[in-house]
Amino acid sequence: MAGVLARVIQRTKPQLGIIGPLVSVGNGNVAVVRFQSADAAPKGKQCGAPISDCDRIFTNLYGRHDWRLKAAMARGDWYMTKEILLKGNDWIVNELKVSGLRGRGGAGFPTGMKWSFMQKPSDGRPKYLVVNADEGEPGTCKDREIMRHDPHKLVEGCLIAGRAIGAIAAYIYIRGEFYNEASNLQVAIAEAYQAGLIGKNACGSGYDFDVYVHRGAGAYICGEETALIESIEGKQGKPRLKPPFPADIGLFGCPTTVNNVETISVSPTICRRGGAWFASFGRLRNHGTKLYNISGHVNTPCTVEEEMSIPLKELIERHAGGVIGGWDNLLAIIPGGSSTPLIPKSVCETVLMDFDALVAAQSAFGTAAIIVMDKSTDIVKAIARLIMFYKHESCGQCTPCREGVSWMNKIIYRMIDGNASPKEIDMLWEISKQIEGHTICALGDGAAWPIQGLIRHFRPELERRMAAYACACGPSKAERLY
Amino acid sequence: MSLGKILALDKLTNFFNALRQNGGIKGSLYKLYRQDELKDGKLVGEDKYGNKYYENARYFYGRNRWVEYNDKVYLNYDGSQVPAEWFGWLHYKTDLPPHQDPSRPKYKWMADFTENMSGTTGQYVPYSTTRSKVEPWVPKKAA
Amino acid sequence: MLRQPLTRALKLSSPARAAPLAARTFAAQPPAPEKFEVFIDDKPVQVEPGTTILQAAALVGVEIPRFCYHERLAVAGNCRMCLVEIEKSPKPAAACAMPVMKGMRVKTNSDLTKKAREGVMEFLLVNHPLDCPICDQGGECDLQDQSMAFGSDRSRFTDIHFSGKRAVEDKDVGPLIKTIMTRCIHCTRCIRFASEVAGVDDFGTTGRGTDMQVGTYVEKMFLSELSGNIIDLCPVGALTSKPYSFAARPWETRRIDSVDVLDPLGSNIVVATRTNEVLRILPRTNEEINEEWLSDKSRFACDGLKRQRLVTPMMKDSRGNLTPVEWEDAMVAAARALQDCPPGKLLAVAGDLADAESLVALKDLVNRLGSENTCTEQYFPLEGAGIDLRSSYLCNTKIANVEESDFVLLIGANTRFEAPLLNARIRKAYIHKDTDVAFIGPKVDLTYDYTHVGDSASILKDLASGTSSHEVMKRLESAKRPVVILGADQLKTPEGAAILAYTQELALRLQDKLEDKSWKVLNVLQRTASQVAALDIGYKPGVGPVLQDGPKVVYLLGADSGVVSRDQLPKDAVVIYQGHHGDVGAAMADIVLPGAAYTEKRATYVNAEGRAQQTLAAVSPPGKARDDWKIIRALSEIVGERLPYDSLDEVRDRLSQISPALVTYGNVEDNNYFAQARALAQSLQKPVSGKVDVQLKQLEDFFMTDTISRASPTMAKCVQAVLKQKQSKY
Repeated sequence: MAGVLARVIQRTKPQLGIIGPLVSVGNGNVAVVRFQSADAAPKGKQCGAPISDCDRIFTNLYGRHDWRLKAAMARGDWYMTKEILLKGNDWIVNELKVSGLRGRGGAGFPTGMKWSFMQKPSDGRPKYLVVNADEGEPGTCKDREIMRHDPHKLVEGCLIAGRAIGAIAAYIYIRGEFYNEASNLQVAIAEAYQAGLIGKNACGSGYDFDVYVHRGAGAYICGEETALIESIEGKQGKPRLKPPFPADIGLFGCPTTVNNVETISVSPTICRRGGAWFASFGRLRNHGTKLYNISGHVNTPCTVEEEMSIPLKELIERHAGGVIGGWDNLLAIIPGGSSTPLIPKSVCETVLMDFDALVAAQSAFGTAAIIVMDKSTDIVKAIARLIMFYKHESCGQCTPCREGVSWMNKIIYRMIDGNASPKEIDMLWEISKQIEGHTICALGDGAAWPIQGLIRHFRPELERRMAAYACACGPSKAERLY
Repeated sequence: MSLGKILALDKLTNFFNALRQNGGIKGSLYKLYRQDELKDGKLVGEDKYGNKYYENARYFYGRNRWVEYNDKVYLNYDGSQVPAEWFGWLHYKTDLPPHQDPSRPKYKWMADFTENMSGTTGQYVPYSTTRSKVEPWVPKKAA
Repeated sequence: MLRQPLTRALKLSSPARAAPLAARTFAAQPPAPEKFEVFIDDKPVQVEPGTTILQAAALVGVEIPRFCYHERLAVAGNCRMCLVEIEKSPKPAAACAMPVMKGMRVKTNSDLTKKAREGVMEFLLVNHPLDCPICDQGGECDLQDQSMAFGSDRSRFTDIHFSGKRAVEDKDVGPLIKTIMTRCIHCTRCIRFASEVAGVDDFGTTGRGTDMQVGTYVEKMFLSELSGNIIDLCPVGALTSKPYSFAARPWETRRIDSVDVLDPLGSNIVVATRTNEVLRILPRTNEEINEEWLSDKSRFACDGLKRQRLVTPMMKDSRGNLTPVEWEDAMVAAARALQDCPPGKLLAVAGDLADAESLVALKDLVNRLGSENTCTEQYFPLEGAGIDLRSSYLCNTKIANVEESDFVLLIGANTRFEAPLLNARIRKAYIHKDTDVAFIGPKVDLTYDYTHVGDSASILKDLASGTSSHEVMKRLESAKRPVVILGADQLKTPEGAAILAYTQELALRLQDKLEDKSWKVLNVLQRTASQVAALDIGYKPGVGPVLQDGPKVVYLLGADSGVVSRDQLPKDAVVIYQGHHGDVGAAMADIVLPGAAYTEKRATYVNAEGRAQQTLAAVSPPGKARDDWKIIRALSEIVGERLPYDSLDEVRDRLSQISPALVTYGNVEDNNYFAQARALAQSLQKPVSGKVDVQLKQLEDFFMTDTISRASPTMAKCVQAVLKQKQSKY
């Protein structure tokens, strides 16, 4: 049950550096990992650079071509899949390990290692692959592009990942609001079944593999891996306690691996082109290419595939047409989806878009959903709106998140007008710290971080508003308690 | 000072006065039995319950006004048998006996005086307002 | 629903999630896994793998605060109060759910731990109303206690000046449980109890986040015979007792340990009294019997102790009306009736709440008057071994061991209503041990799935002879620890002797094949608390034959079930009733002698497994009522046959002369002579054709079964509420 953690702890010292992130792992879409300092011994690339078209994995990201099987095969999907399957699970897992692919759902757990946890001898229970397509994080829109325009990448990925972990079936849990995506995906699966690519004797490899699509009902928390499993089982989407981890007891009580859509979709290409090819992108421990979603106050918001470790500024300037009103009009950026702490302009100048660099900048890479805010933004209101989202999406199971997030929501909404005591800023910080790390799942952390980012970088702004309010309306009622 | 006083003959006079006033030797013995005291004095008045009120300034203050209870109560006399209006005279609240006092209020609604009934069967006993903790079974009556 | 692959899978790797271990003789014992050392606050402790931090801490006496964790329920881990720091881990871990690992160092007193607790406490109090002065839980509230111990010394909840606290609408879950849902801290103990122990999936959460509410999804009564336990489970005042609401504070009450007598299990209870009044009854932990649960009847029928009571002796006057008299008159009249009675025409009948002391005193008195006619109301076949062998009329498996069984066959015993806590054990086995259950009798709801074999008694014959082709036969044959439970009501029928004989045959045939020779299969589940003691003392079961002789004097010792009625007696028969409630027995009596109920006397009761336990006097008997054995002792003196005991100890000496098992309190003796009983029963295996039926089929039948519960207004309300709920479309 405590397999994962036990394994982590039993590793020898030299390996610990790599596995460092594991200690707080596996939190699906909403989580981000806290690292020790990045790149103790840097070698290889210092930063990423734009990639050439031939190195892009998602060649139909913008839907300019047909997404059906025939066109997908023309783009290279399902090519030599049988041969890959026949190479066996060890080979696939090894390729993934070599590629250095880290989970694209936010936590950044090394995928090869995650799959290798499933290689234990079977105890009679079947194994399952669950694909987390419940992309609900505000700002993130990468998985839907894959499922809409390149669904066969995902289906093929399911088969290869399923082979690697020895699963008998894959469940794709797709967000309820993604109607067209689910329907495209369903068509793609039907095509694959008809073509004999999955199902009995998939691709002629002698391996039986089924793919099911399960549509969610619109709860953000179902993007958390154990809540997602609960939801597939037909229960309320409430995260389970870990340990036991899904690798021991997951879907229907069986060993399960939960992966993000993007992680699964890149795996066939990694297998075809080799792990070393994938590892040639990005800095050490942050390899590969990645889909970035750039939204907010930029001239051309877009989703784009780029190399890991590309400088944030270059990414925005090159693909998103720059910040509206020029780079100097930038106020702050939320670099990895709404749950990550924002970073101010000064940090944005130099920061690289990868796991380690953003942790060093006291933020997180998350899902690489970049939300750009220029100086017209009411930053407090923006963060307050995010907290309201988390308050609304808290499942209510455990105390700190249920009570704490709604309390934070009350306070931050008062702070928009400045109707609060300056002492409450410290209190709000403490409350966010009381939530962080004390909850069952990572939603609590995700709700606490935006607040922490705001207080860390915009404390003067909060104090200014409170002073203005006190000037105009007299001291806030919140002062009474102090 | 008269000779009588020197020889304490006035005491003797007083004694015989008292003896006479209380109905001779037999009457006086009865009074002594009933009241443990033999006094002479002026009858000031009588209330409607038959109690007689006396005064004799010769006795010192505090004992110079007294009541002799109605003979009917015999030995069962009690301070509370004195009605309120005479109570005031007895205790020197006023020197005017009630029957000579025209200013005393008299209304129809004024209740009759009753003595204190404590310790007797007529005493006031407050009843319990709490329900009994146990509700007993009441058998059905035979038809 | 609970019994799904998930729970099965959980069991595979986590022994900690299984039920806590009581003293088990028959626990499946694979070689004990290697223990290892962990450190709780630097105190070393040896634990088995799979132990949680909280359990390990309990071993060294370190108590970790908790709200949602309860050792008899599944781990939820959602209150987060039990967070503790683990060395080399950046985040605190929930001690209730985290299994220990070798060499783990847990700090339950570090700054990180304290801060975490204080933070959780603060969050819990943010939306908890501070209405302790008007809350019934005050004084026994976990939240109160733990906020004193672990909370902050002041509030930071500035928003009280702005938006205030959350308020939640109260739910109506029936006449027993009062809900004030604003106080709920969402620990989900009630939900887990309902679905795991009570087997009623009516409780759950709706909504999410701060709007999450605990409740029945639609307004519905909590239709369970164990519902009162969620009052004890609730750590705050969200679920409180409706009959007890605003009655007393816990520190005002005196608590006396006692034993319940309203079902045959003899659950251990605590009677809370104030000023000579029973206010409420709470369960007392006894792993062998009731764990820490209590059935609703045992818990809430205590207000029946205050109604319909016999408070004074009564005699029939010349018009035939019972009128109150002095003890002297009643005793002299009773003595005269006894003296005038021809020896063979005296009949004594013991009812279902009679204690062992009064039973033995009455039997001694009747015997001295030359009569052998002492009977119980409940019948038991006297053919074969009859009541001579104790194994024939007891639950030999023992209640606690039932949860170790792997197959349970119920024959005409609706355990859910006849012995609710035994049923809870079977359900526990069903969920945690994959025990399967088969039932012979009418279709009833036992709260778990069972194989319904049919309701014909001939099925039993086929099973006993091994000729049945039913799948249950195979399951029984292959079971390693089978349990057969026969309801005592089946023995009332003319075919009772045959049914008992077949049951013995079946049980002993199975028992002989077992590897585990100490495992007992045969159980006869009695219906009443007095029956086992009465049979031990030598009462004859059933009044039938004696009644036909036309007794001249009938002495009813709390016999209220109506097996003796005026119509069956000669016109001039004198009926003396001794008991505590005015019911069937008192209504037909000529002389009524008021006795004491079980909360009012120190008395011995023997439960269905043969365990002697004693009640203690919590309050004094009302009015002129007296201890039962003392009444009989006094009567004996007037009759002129003075019984040779003057104190309770001397009565108990007399009990121990009859059977030492009657006074070895808390112990249960193993029974033997199964084979002899089986041999004696061989000749009784006659063909049977009847149907197996049970008396208590529905929940509404459960609440009013004896004089105390029939007198209880709360139980009457329950019956009404259940009937009303049944008409609802939900």
